[in-house]
Amino acid sequence: MAQRTQPLSELADIIRSKNAGPFRITFDILFSDPDRYRHVRDSGAVSKGTVAAAYGISPSEITSFFQVDMANAIKVTLRRPRGQGSFGESDIYGCQQHVPLLRLTVPVA
Amino acid sequence: MLQPITVLTPTGTLGYGFGAKALERGMSLKPSVIAVDAGSTDPGPHYLGSGETLVSRISMKKELTQLIEAGRDANIPLIVGSAGGAGSKAHVDWTVGIVREIVRERNLKLKLAWIYADIPKERAKACIRAGEVKDFEAGHDLTEKDIDETVTLVAQMGHEPICEALDKGAHVIIAGRACDDSTIAAFPIWKGGDLGLAIHMGKILECGAFSAEPFAMDVMLGTLDNSGFVLEPGSLERRASVKSVAAHSLYEREHPYIHGGPGHELDLAACKFTSVGDRQVRVEGARAVVTPDYYIKLEGARLMGYRSVSIAGVRCPTMIARIEELLDQARRNAIDYFAPAELKVGFHVYGRDGVMQRLEPQRRELAHELGLVIDVVADNMELAHAACHQISGALLHWHYPGQYNTSGNLAFPYSPSEIDAGPTYEFSAYHLMKVKSATELFPVHLETL
Repeated sequence: MAQRTQPLSELADIIRSKNAGPFRITFDILFSDPDRYRHVRDSGAVSKGTVAAAYGISPSEITSFFQVDMANAIKVTLRRPRGQGSFGESDIYGCQQHVPLLRLTVPVA
Repeated sequence: MLQPITVLTPTGTLGYGFGAKALERGMSLKPSVIAVDAGSTDPGPHYLGSGETLVSRISMKKELTQLIEAGRDANIPLIVGSAGGAGSKAHVDWTVGIVREIVRERNLKLKLAWIYADIPKERAKACIRAGEVKDFEAGHDLTEKDIDETVTLVAQMGHEPICEALDKGAHVIIAGRACDDSTIAAFPIWKGGDLGLAIHMGKILECGAFSAEPFAMDVMLGTLDNSGFVLEPGSLERRASVKSVAAHSLYEREHPYIHGGPGHELDLAACKFTSVGDRQVRVEGARAVVTPDYYIKLEGARLMGYRSVSIAGVRCPTMIARIEELLDQARRNAIDYFAPAELKVGFHVYGRDGVMQRLEPQRRELAHELGLVIDVVADNMELAHAACHQISGALLHWHYPGQYNTSGNLAFPYSPSEIDAGPTYEFSAYHLMKVKSATELFPVHLETL
């Protein structure tokens, strides 16, 4: 029987993207419930591989991945395709790049 | 034993507002200093390149007036960092001019200090030749050519030049580009506070009440003692919680624990956040290490060209179905038409992938209506305008097979259909440069008003 899953948006309280300097976009996934955080952390549903797949990029474009226990948070950072504000820019603050993370699937506990 | 030192930060970016009542209540808690950040690279390279300011003169004067008066009434200094948005000389001079005007109009007497953060280009080039410049995140080494092309070059100062202005008795300090954390941390460090704790407090306070709930551009206070600091929003309608503060520690930075700054590295791995009552959070455990060499972060902008844009809607399904091929062809035609002059031609297609571009997983799910922005950058305004108009005109009247509507393909909201945005800039430097001392490139100027 296929394992039941639910989208990350039903488990995390905050899923956001933001520029971190002109050459990075950083994503924060924050949980208010430590049990939910630990469940997602340990499930492997959010990893360099799953994030890269959600955005259709190579995992090498992900510059860092952290599970931050003290904040019940997962933090992922991407290299920007171009310097902030250079020709072709579509999101100066990088604050509307989070949506594919909402739909990451997590196995039900 | 250090006496506890309270810093009041009125807002996350000076000019973006704060509550008058929150300021009044914050001031009743007897802070030792008002410190606020007025800019960053967040809004992009334009302000650094053009010298235009991030916020309007009206907003800056209104908020500076409130803060200068609050500071003088309480006899405590006011520190503003990254003045004007990018903290360049033009931005510092603009802000200093506003302070002089306020002092004159309000019949105040005070000692004003201002600190430039512009880096002489020759100095940067000498450092490149000496191998004293390294990449931060730009992904390439900085060259002398990059510096030659740069129109404005600044660097983030640490707390030391601000402390020098405090040594000289300044009541109002207008600093050029400064590390946000250092602007807020300067006064407590000057008073003998621990570097790591003060910088960490600065890192959280620099966004004002963004670390509170509900978050807002509003007043936040931090009180530093020997072993940690306590955060509290100015407004009684907000509270600091362990969740809001811990979440904010991750905001707009890549590494959750290790943060490099001017002359130091901060380690937050051992931090603890605990609630104090309903509205306060105590933070302990940050440690800072002074780095053996002192590096400052350079920020430079160069002119990319002149921009003209055209905004149009597309509603016809036959046009939407072939939008990609039509835009590609229109771009190629324009480049051929204006050759050998060089053009940058881009399209933002809202309703397809206008926001996320190549990161968009749903780009095949085209909306029933597309928003199109035609974006042209060229060496001069006339050429950019000409090319933008040529492209919008060509797309308007493009004929393609299966077309029902032969009268026009684009719905323009404006006449003229092109908007000339003028000179446009890009980052040319985002690199670390070694300096001999923390203050050598950040001269402090004083004036008694």
